[in-house]
Amino acid sequence: MLLANNIVFNRGNKKILNKISLTLSPKKIIHVTGNNGTGKTTLLKILTNVLEPNEGEVFWDGKNIKKYPFIFYKDLTYIMDKTSSNANLTVYENIYFWIKLFSSSRSIKEIESILDLLSLYQHKKSLVSSLSYGEIKKLELARLIIEQKKVWVLDEPYIGLDQISTNLINETIIYHAKLGGMVIFTSHITADIPNLEILQLEKYENN
Amino acid sequence: MKTINSIIAIFQREFKITYRNFSDILSIFLFFLMGVMIFVFSIGANDDIFNQIGIGIIWTLILLTNNLTLRKFYQDDFNDGSLVIFHLSGLSYELIVLIKIIVNWLVIQIPFFILIPISGFLLNIEFFNIKIIFISFLLGSPITTCITSISGAMNLLNKKNFAIGSLIIMILSIPVIIFSVGLINTSEESMGAQINILMGIMFLFLAITPWVCSICIKLAIQEK
Repeated sequence: MLLANNIVFNRGNKKILNKISLTLSPKKIIHVTGNNGTGKTTLLKILTNVLEPNEGEVFWDGKNIKKYPFIFYKDLTYIMDKTSSNANLTVYENIYFWIKLFSSSRSIKEIESILDLLSLYQHKKSLVSSLSYGEIKKLELARLIIEQKKVWVLDEPYIGLDQISTNLINETIIYHAKLGGMVIFTSHITADIPNLEILQLEKYENN
Repeated sequence: MKTINSIIAIFQREFKITYRNFSDILSIFLFFLMGVMIFVFSIGANDDIFNQIGIGIIWTLILLTNNLTLRKFYQDDFNDGSLVIFHLSGLSYELIVLIKIIVNWLVIQIPFFILIPISGFLLNIEFFNIKIIFISFLLGSPITTCITSISGAMNLLNKKNFAIGSLIIMILSIPVIIFSVGLINTSEESMGAQINILMGIMFLFLAITPWVCSICIKLAIQEK
Protein backbone atom coordinates (compact mmCIF):
# COMPACT_ATOMS: atom_id res chain seq x y z
CA MET A 1 0.00 0.00 0.00
CA LEU A 2 1.25 3.49 -0.93
CA LEU A 3 0.48 6.15 1.64
CA ALA A 4 1.11 9.88 1.28
CA ASN A 5 0.73 11.91 4.43
CA ASN A 6 0.16 15.71 4.45
CA ILE A 7 2.32 16.50 1.45
CA VAL A 8 3.30 20.16 1.14
CA PHE A 9 5.40 21.44 -1.73
CA ASN A 10 6.49 25.01 -2.36
CA ARG A 11 8.26 26.40 -5.38
CA GLY A 12 9.82 29.65 -4.24
CA ASN A 13 7.08 31.52 -2.39
CA LYS A 14 4.31 29.74 -4.24
CA LYS A 15 2.54 26.86 -2.52
CA ILE A 16 2.05 24.15 -5.16
CA LEU A 17 0.72 21.32 -2.98
CA ASN A 18 -1.08 21.97 0.29
CA LYS A 19 -1.40 19.06 2.73
CA ILE A 20 -2.30 16.35 0.27
CA SER A 21 -2.93 12.90 1.73
CA LEU A 22 -3.84 9.79 -0.19
CA THR A 23 -3.88 6.03 0.14
CA LEU A 24 -3.30 3.78 -2.83
CA SER A 25 -4.22 0.24 -1.89
CA PRO A 26 -4.38 -2.91 -4.06
CA LYS A 27 -7.08 -2.91 -6.77
CA LYS A 28 -7.44 0.87 -6.45
CA ILE A 29 -7.20 3.36 -9.32
CA ILE A 30 -6.83 7.08 -8.54
CA HIS A 31 -7.33 9.79 -11.15
CA VAL A 32 -5.61 13.04 -10.15
CA THR A 33 -7.35 16.02 -11.73
CA GLY A 34 -6.68 19.73 -11.70
CA ASN A 35 -6.07 22.70 -13.92
CA ASN A 36 -2.64 23.53 -15.31
CA GLY A 37 -0.23 24.48 -12.56
CA THR A 38 -2.16 22.83 -9.72
CA GLY A 39 0.69 20.39 -9.11
CA LYS A 40 -0.43 17.12 -10.70
CA THR A 41 3.00 16.24 -12.11
CA THR A 42 4.68 17.51 -8.93
CA LEU A 43 2.51 15.20 -6.82
CA LEU A 44 3.44 12.19 -8.95
CA LYS A 45 7.11 13.12 -8.73
CA ILE A 46 6.83 13.25 -4.94
CA LEU A 47 5.02 9.90 -4.86
CA THR A 48 7.85 8.36 -6.88
CA ASN A 49 10.59 9.95 -4.75
CA VAL A 50 11.86 11.98 -7.72
CA LEU A 51 11.04 15.19 -5.83
CA GLU A 52 11.35 15.80 -2.13
CA PRO A 53 8.35 17.46 -0.44
CA ASN A 54 8.82 20.42 1.92
CA GLU A 55 6.58 18.69 4.43
CA GLY A 56 4.99 15.28 4.71
CA GLU A 57 6.13 11.75 3.97
CA VAL A 58 5.37 8.92 1.59
CA PHE A 59 5.33 5.31 2.74
CA TRP A 60 5.39 2.09 0.76
CA ASP A 61 4.30 -0.96 2.77
CA GLY A 62 5.00 0.96 5.97
CA LYS A 63 8.50 2.01 4.93
CA ASN A 64 9.43 5.62 4.20
CA ILE A 65 10.35 5.76 0.48
CA LYS A 66 13.01 8.39 1.15
CA LYS A 67 14.85 6.05 3.52
CA TYR A 68 14.23 2.86 1.55
CA PRO A 69 13.89 4.01 -2.07
CA PHE A 70 15.10 0.82 -3.74
CA ILE A 71 12.54 -1.36 -1.90
CA PHE A 72 9.83 0.87 -3.39
CA TYR A 73 11.42 1.00 -6.86
CA LYS A 74 11.19 -2.80 -7.08
CA ASP A 75 7.40 -2.38 -7.21
CA LEU A 76 7.16 0.89 -9.14
CA THR A 77 6.68 1.77 -12.78
CA TYR A 78 6.69 5.49 -13.45
CA ILE A 79 5.64 6.82 -16.84
CA MET A 80 6.71 10.44 -16.97
CA ASP A 81 5.23 13.36 -18.84
CA LYS A 82 8.16 13.04 -21.23
CA THR A 83 9.25 10.03 -23.23
CA SER A 84 12.38 8.27 -22.07
CA SER A 85 12.91 6.18 -25.21
CA ASN A 86 16.06 7.18 -27.05
CA ALA A 87 15.48 8.74 -30.46
CA ASN A 88 18.72 7.30 -31.85
CA LEU A 89 17.70 3.71 -31.12
CA THR A 90 15.07 1.61 -32.86
CA VAL A 91 11.77 0.61 -31.23
CA TYR A 92 13.10 -2.89 -30.66
CA GLU A 93 16.43 -1.66 -29.25
CA ASN A 94 14.61 0.54 -26.73
CA ILE A 95 12.41 -2.36 -25.66
CA TYR A 96 15.37 -4.72 -25.42
CA PHE A 97 17.14 -2.10 -23.27
CA TRP A 98 14.18 -1.82 -20.87
CA ILE A 99 13.89 -5.62 -20.63
CA LYS A 100 17.55 -5.86 -19.60
CA LEU A 101 17.50 -2.75 -17.41
CA PHE A 102 14.55 -3.99 -15.36
CA SER A 103 15.53 -7.70 -15.64
CA SER A 104 12.09 -8.42 -17.08
CA SER A 105 11.04 -12.01 -17.62
CA ARG A 106 9.01 -11.10 -20.72
CA SER A 107 9.87 -13.24 -23.73
CA ILE A 108 10.50 -11.91 -27.24
CA LYS A 109 7.18 -13.42 -28.35
CA GLU A 110 5.27 -11.60 -25.63
CA ILE A 111 6.99 -8.34 -26.53
CA GLU A 112 6.17 -8.81 -30.20
CA SER A 113 2.51 -9.36 -29.37
CA ILE A 114 2.53 -6.17 -27.26
CA LEU A 115 4.05 -4.29 -30.19
CA ASP A 116 1.38 -5.76 -32.43
CA LEU A 117 -1.39 -4.66 -30.03
CA LEU A 118 0.03 -1.16 -29.96
CA SER A 119 0.36 -1.14 -33.79
CA LEU A 120 4.11 -0.74 -33.43
CA TYR A 121 5.17 -4.12 -34.81
CA GLN A 122 5.72 -2.81 -38.34
CA HIS A 123 7.95 -0.08 -36.86
CA LYS A 124 10.06 -2.38 -34.71
CA LYS A 125 13.20 -1.73 -36.74
CA SER A 126 12.50 1.98 -37.21
CA LEU A 127 14.40 4.62 -35.29
CA VAL A 128 12.27 6.26 -32.61
CA SER A 129 13.12 9.63 -34.19
CA SER A 130 11.05 8.59 -37.23
CA LEU A 131 7.88 7.83 -35.18
CA SER A 132 4.99 10.17 -34.48
CA TYR A 133 4.43 11.53 -30.95
CA GLY A 134 1.51 9.16 -30.38
CA GLU A 135 3.62 6.17 -31.41
CA ILE A 136 6.47 7.24 -29.11
CA LYS A 137 3.96 7.60 -26.26
CA LYS A 138 2.64 4.07 -26.95
CA LEU A 139 6.19 2.75 -26.91
CA GLU A 140 6.70 4.41 -23.53
CA LEU A 141 3.52 2.80 -22.20
CA ALA A 142 4.87 -0.61 -23.26
CA ARG A 143 7.12 -0.27 -20.20
CA LEU A 144 4.06 -1.02 -18.05
CA ILE A 145 3.91 -4.51 -19.50
CA ILE A 146 7.68 -5.00 -19.65
CA GLU A 147 8.42 -4.02 -16.05
CA GLN A 148 5.56 -6.05 -14.46
CA LYS A 149 5.46 -3.93 -11.27
CA LYS A 150 2.63 -3.52 -8.72
CA VAL A 151 2.37 0.28 -8.63
CA TRP A 152 1.79 2.24 -11.82
CA VAL A 153 2.26 6.00 -11.66
CA LEU A 154 1.26 7.53 -14.95
CA ASP A 155 1.62 11.18 -15.89
CA GLU A 156 -0.81 12.13 -18.67
CA PRO A 157 -0.89 8.64 -20.25
CA TYR A 158 -3.55 9.56 -22.85
CA ILE A 159 -1.75 12.48 -24.50
CA GLY A 160 -1.21 11.83 -28.21
CA LEU A 161 -3.13 8.54 -28.23
CA ASP A 162 -5.92 7.67 -30.67
CA GLN A 163 -9.24 6.21 -29.44
CA ILE A 164 -8.18 2.58 -29.98
CA SER A 165 -4.99 3.02 -27.98
CA THR A 166 -6.85 4.97 -25.27
CA ASN A 167 -9.30 2.08 -24.88
CA LEU A 168 -6.42 -0.38 -24.81
CA ILE A 169 -4.68 1.57 -22.03
CA ASN A 170 -7.95 1.73 -20.07
CA GLU A 171 -8.40 -2.04 -20.40
CA THR A 172 -4.80 -2.61 -19.34
CA ILE A 173 -5.25 -0.39 -16.26
CA ILE A 174 -8.50 -2.15 -15.29
CA TYR A 175 -6.92 -5.59 -15.76
CA HIS A 176 -3.87 -4.57 -13.70
CA ALA A 177 -6.11 -3.38 -10.84
CA LYS A 178 -8.14 -6.61 -11.05
CA LEU A 179 -4.93 -8.58 -10.50
CA GLY A 180 -4.24 -6.60 -7.32
CA GLY A 181 -2.19 -3.80 -8.82
CA MET A 182 -2.48 -0.11 -8.00
CA VAL A 183 -2.67 2.79 -10.43
CA ILE A 184 -2.50 6.54 -9.98
CA PHE A 185 -2.61 8.77 -13.02
CA THR A 186 -3.10 12.38 -14.05
CA SER A 187 -5.18 13.38 -17.03
CA HIS A 188 -7.29 16.25 -18.30
CA ILE A 189 -9.71 13.85 -19.97
CA THR A 190 -12.30 11.76 -18.16
CA ALA A 191 -11.12 8.17 -18.23
CA ASP A 192 -13.66 5.46 -19.03
CA ILE A 193 -12.70 3.33 -16.04
CA PRO A 194 -15.23 2.03 -13.46
CA ASN A 195 -14.75 2.56 -9.69
CA LEU A 196 -12.32 5.36 -10.30
CA GLU A 197 -11.36 7.46 -7.30
CA ILE A 198 -10.95 11.12 -8.19
CA LEU A 199 -8.45 13.34 -6.40
CA GLN A 200 -9.20 16.98 -7.21
CA LEU A 201 -6.18 19.13 -6.42
CA GLU A 202 -8.17 22.39 -6.57
CA LYS A 203 -9.95 21.32 -3.39
CA TYR A 204 -6.69 21.55 -1.46
CA GLU A 205 -5.60 24.92 -2.83
CA ASN A 206 -7.02 27.18 -0.10
CA ASN A 207 -7.10 24.82 2.86
CA MET B 1 22.55 -10.14 -10.65
CA LYS B 2 19.79 -7.63 -11.41
CA THR B 3 22.18 -4.73 -10.82
CA ILE B 4 24.78 -6.28 -13.12
CA ASN B 5 22.12 -6.74 -15.83
CA SER B 6 21.12 -3.08 -15.48
CA ILE B 7 24.76 -1.95 -15.70
CA ILE B 8 25.38 -4.09 -18.81
CA ALA B 9 22.16 -2.73 -20.36
CA ILE B 10 23.28 0.88 -19.87
CA PHE B 11 26.74 0.12 -21.30
CA GLN B 12 25.21 -1.49 -24.40
CA ARG B 13 22.78 1.41 -24.83
CA GLU B 14 25.54 4.01 -24.54
CA PHE B 15 27.74 2.25 -27.09
CA LYS B 16 24.83 1.88 -29.52
CA ILE B 17 23.97 5.57 -29.23
CA THR B 18 27.62 6.48 -29.75
CA TYR B 19 27.78 4.24 -32.82
CA ARG B 20 24.62 5.91 -34.23
CA ASN B 21 26.15 9.35 -33.62
CA PHE B 22 29.55 8.35 -34.95
CA SER B 23 29.80 11.50 -37.08
CA ASP B 24 29.72 13.58 -33.87
CA ILE B 25 32.65 11.64 -32.45
CA LEU B 26 34.51 11.85 -35.75
CA SER B 27 34.12 15.64 -35.84
CA ILE B 28 35.59 15.85 -32.34
CA PHE B 29 38.71 13.97 -33.42
CA LEU B 30 38.96 15.97 -36.65
CA PHE B 31 38.79 19.11 -34.51
CA PHE B 32 41.82 17.81 -32.57
CA LEU B 33 43.82 16.98 -35.70
CA MET B 34 42.91 20.28 -37.38
CA GLY B 35 44.03 22.07 -34.22
CA VAL B 36 47.43 20.35 -34.48
CA MET B 37 47.66 21.33 -38.17
CA ILE B 38 46.88 24.97 -37.35
CA PHE B 39 49.74 25.00 -34.82
CA VAL B 40 52.07 23.52 -37.47
CA PHE B 41 51.06 26.18 -40.00
CA SER B 42 51.19 29.06 -37.53
CA ILE B 43 54.53 28.23 -35.88
CA GLY B 44 56.28 26.79 -38.95
CA ALA B 45 58.66 23.87 -39.28
CA ASN B 46 60.84 24.13 -36.21
CA ASP B 47 61.60 20.77 -34.60
CA ASP B 48 63.20 22.27 -31.49
CA ILE B 49 60.18 24.40 -30.67
CA PHE B 50 57.74 21.49 -31.18
CA ASN B 51 59.87 19.19 -29.02
CA GLN B 52 59.68 21.85 -26.31
CA ILE B 53 56.03 22.85 -26.57
CA GLY B 54 54.52 19.84 -28.41
CA ILE B 55 53.17 18.22 -25.23
CA GLY B 56 51.61 21.56 -24.25
CA ILE B 57 49.94 21.88 -27.66
CA ILE B 58 48.58 18.33 -27.47
CA TRP B 59 47.28 18.75 -23.91
CA THR B 60 45.65 22.10 -24.72
CA LEU B 61 43.87 20.57 -27.69
CA ILE B 62 42.78 17.55 -25.59
CA LEU B 63 41.20 19.95 -23.11
CA LEU B 64 39.43 21.91 -25.86
CA THR B 65 38.21 18.63 -27.35
CA ASN B 66 36.83 17.62 -23.94
CA ASN B 67 34.93 20.90 -23.90
CA LEU B 68 33.12 19.80 -27.04
CA THR B 69 31.85 16.64 -25.34
CA LEU B 70 30.63 18.52 -22.27
CA ARG B 71 26.98 18.90 -23.24
CA LYS B 72 26.73 15.27 -24.33
CA PHE B 73 27.71 13.94 -20.92
CA TYR B 74 24.37 14.14 -19.05
CA GLN B 75 22.19 16.68 -20.84
CA ASP B 76 20.35 14.36 -23.26
CA ASP B 77 19.65 11.72 -20.59
CA PHE B 78 18.57 14.43 -18.18
CA ASN B 79 16.21 16.10 -20.68
CA ASP B 80 14.36 12.91 -21.66
CA GLY B 81 14.20 11.56 -18.10
CA SER B 82 16.50 8.58 -18.78
CA LEU B 83 18.60 9.39 -15.70
CA VAL B 84 15.48 8.98 -13.54
CA ILE B 85 14.58 5.71 -15.31
CA PHE B 86 18.12 4.36 -14.73
CA HIS B 87 17.74 5.26 -11.05
CA LEU B 88 14.30 3.65 -10.78
CA SER B 89 15.84 0.43 -12.11
CA GLY B 90 17.70 0.21 -8.81
CA LEU B 91 20.98 1.97 -9.58
CA SER B 92 22.22 4.80 -7.39
CA TYR B 93 23.07 8.07 -9.10
CA GLU B 94 26.71 7.56 -8.04
CA LEU B 95 26.85 4.27 -9.93
CA ILE B 96 25.16 5.82 -12.98
CA VAL B 97 27.81 8.59 -12.97
CA LEU B 98 30.59 6.00 -12.75
CA ILE B 99 29.14 4.12 -15.76
CA LYS B 100 28.94 7.37 -17.71
CA ILE B 101 32.56 8.19 -16.85
CA ILE B 102 33.79 4.77 -18.00
CA VAL B 103 31.80 4.96 -21.26
CA ASN B 104 33.02 8.48 -21.95
CA TRP B 105 36.62 7.50 -21.25
CA LEU B 106 36.39 4.50 -23.58
CA VAL B 107 34.65 6.39 -26.38
CA ILE B 108 36.34 9.80 -26.23
CA GLN B 109 39.76 9.19 -24.66
CA ILE B 110 40.85 5.80 -26.01
CA PRO B 111 41.02 7.03 -29.64
CA PHE B 112 43.60 9.59 -28.49
CA PHE B 113 46.07 6.73 -28.09
CA ILE B 114 46.01 6.63 -31.90
CA LEU B 115 45.67 10.38 -32.41
CA ILE B 116 48.60 11.28 -30.14
CA PRO B 117 51.24 9.41 -32.24
CA ILE B 118 49.70 10.93 -35.40
CA SER B 119 49.90 14.43 -33.94
CA GLY B 120 53.42 13.63 -32.68
CA PHE B 121 54.35 12.75 -36.26
CA LEU B 122 52.75 15.98 -37.58
CA LEU B 123 54.62 18.05 -35.00
CA ASN B 124 57.81 16.04 -35.58
CA ILE B 125 58.20 15.27 -31.86
CA GLU B 126 60.95 12.86 -30.81
CA PHE B 127 59.93 9.29 -29.99
CA PHE B 128 61.03 9.60 -26.35
CA ASN B 129 58.83 12.68 -25.89
CA ILE B 130 55.84 10.88 -27.46
CA LYS B 131 56.36 8.12 -24.89
CA ILE B 132 56.16 10.74 -22.11
CA ILE B 133 52.98 12.23 -23.63
CA PHE B 134 51.52 8.71 -23.61
CA ILE B 135 52.31 8.24 -19.90
CA SER B 136 50.93 11.64 -18.99
CA PHE B 137 47.79 10.99 -21.07
CA LEU B 138 47.27 7.57 -19.51
CA LEU B 139 47.10 9.20 -16.07
CA GLY B 140 45.64 12.52 -17.16
CA SER B 141 42.78 11.31 -19.35
CA PRO B 142 40.72 9.78 -16.48
CA ILE B 143 41.17 13.10 -14.66
CA THR B 144 39.94 15.16 -17.63
CA THR B 145 36.99 12.77 -18.06
CA CYS B 146 36.10 13.26 -14.37
CA ILE B 147 36.44 17.03 -14.74
CA THR B 148 34.18 16.99 -17.82
CA SER B 149 31.70 14.87 -15.86
CA ILE B 150 31.66 17.36 -12.95
CA SER B 151 31.29 20.26 -15.34
CA GLY B 152 28.54 18.47 -17.30
CA ALA B 153 26.62 17.70 -14.09
CA MET B 154 27.02 21.30 -12.85
CA ASN B 155 25.74 22.53 -16.21
CA LEU B 156 22.42 20.76 -15.51
CA LEU B 157 21.88 23.28 -12.74
CA ASN B 158 22.68 26.16 -15.01
CA LYS B 159 20.02 26.93 -17.58
CA LYS B 160 21.43 30.17 -18.95
CA ASN B 161 25.21 30.41 -19.08
CA PHE B 162 26.64 27.32 -20.78
CA ALA B 163 30.10 28.87 -21.19
CA ILE B 164 30.60 28.51 -17.45
CA GLY B 165 30.89 24.71 -17.91
CA SER B 166 33.87 25.18 -20.22
CA LEU B 167 35.34 27.61 -17.73
CA ILE B 168 35.07 25.00 -14.95
CA ILE B 169 36.91 22.47 -17.13
CA MET B 170 39.71 24.98 -17.77
CA ILE B 171 40.09 25.92 -14.10
CA LEU B 172 40.02 22.34 -12.75
CA SER B 173 42.45 21.20 -15.45
CA ILE B 174 45.25 23.54 -14.39
CA PRO B 175 46.93 21.01 -12.02
CA VAL B 176 46.69 18.26 -14.66
CA ILE B 177 48.27 20.51 -17.28
CA ILE B 178 51.04 21.61 -14.91
CA PHE B 179 52.08 18.08 -13.95
CA SER B 180 51.48 16.48 -17.37
CA VAL B 181 53.35 19.11 -19.36
CA GLY B 182 55.97 19.35 -16.61
CA LEU B 183 56.94 15.71 -17.24
CA ILE B 184 58.77 16.63 -20.44
CA ASN B 185 61.06 19.20 -18.83
CA THR B 186 61.74 17.34 -15.63
CA SER B 187 64.87 15.33 -14.77
CA GLU B 188 64.71 11.53 -14.77
CA GLU B 189 65.00 11.46 -10.95
CA SER B 190 62.01 13.68 -10.32
CA MET B 191 59.87 12.09 -13.06
CA GLY B 192 58.69 9.39 -10.65
CA ALA B 193 57.50 12.01 -8.17
CA GLN B 194 55.60 13.89 -10.89
CA ILE B 195 53.92 10.66 -12.02
CA ASN B 196 52.97 9.91 -8.40
CA ILE B 197 51.39 13.35 -8.05
CA LEU B 198 49.40 12.78 -11.27
CA MET B 199 48.28 9.39 -9.94
CA GLY B 200 47.23 11.04 -6.69
CA ILE B 201 45.15 13.62 -8.56
CA MET B 202 43.62 10.82 -10.65
CA PHE B 203 42.57 8.79 -7.60
CA LEU B 204 41.25 11.91 -5.87
CA PHE B 205 39.03 12.77 -8.85
CA LEU B 206 37.89 9.15 -9.29
CA ALA B 207 36.87 9.14 -5.63
CA ILE B 208 35.01 12.45 -5.50
CA THR B 209 33.47 12.71 -8.98
CA PRO B 210 30.58 10.20 -8.52
CA TRP B 211 29.47 11.94 -5.29
CA VAL B 212 29.82 15.49 -6.63
CA CYS B 213 28.02 14.65 -9.89
CA SER B 214 25.21 12.72 -8.17
CA ILE B 215 24.52 15.68 -5.86
CA CYS B 216 24.37 18.00 -8.89
CA ILE B 217 22.04 15.62 -10.75
CA LYS B 218 19.72 15.25 -7.73
CA LEU B 219 19.62 19.03 -7.29
CA ALA B 220 18.95 19.55 -11.00
CA ILE B 221 16.04 17.08 -10.86
CA GLN B 222 14.64 18.92 -7.82
CA GLU B 223 14.99 22.28 -9.55
CA LYS B 224 13.33 21.18 -12.77
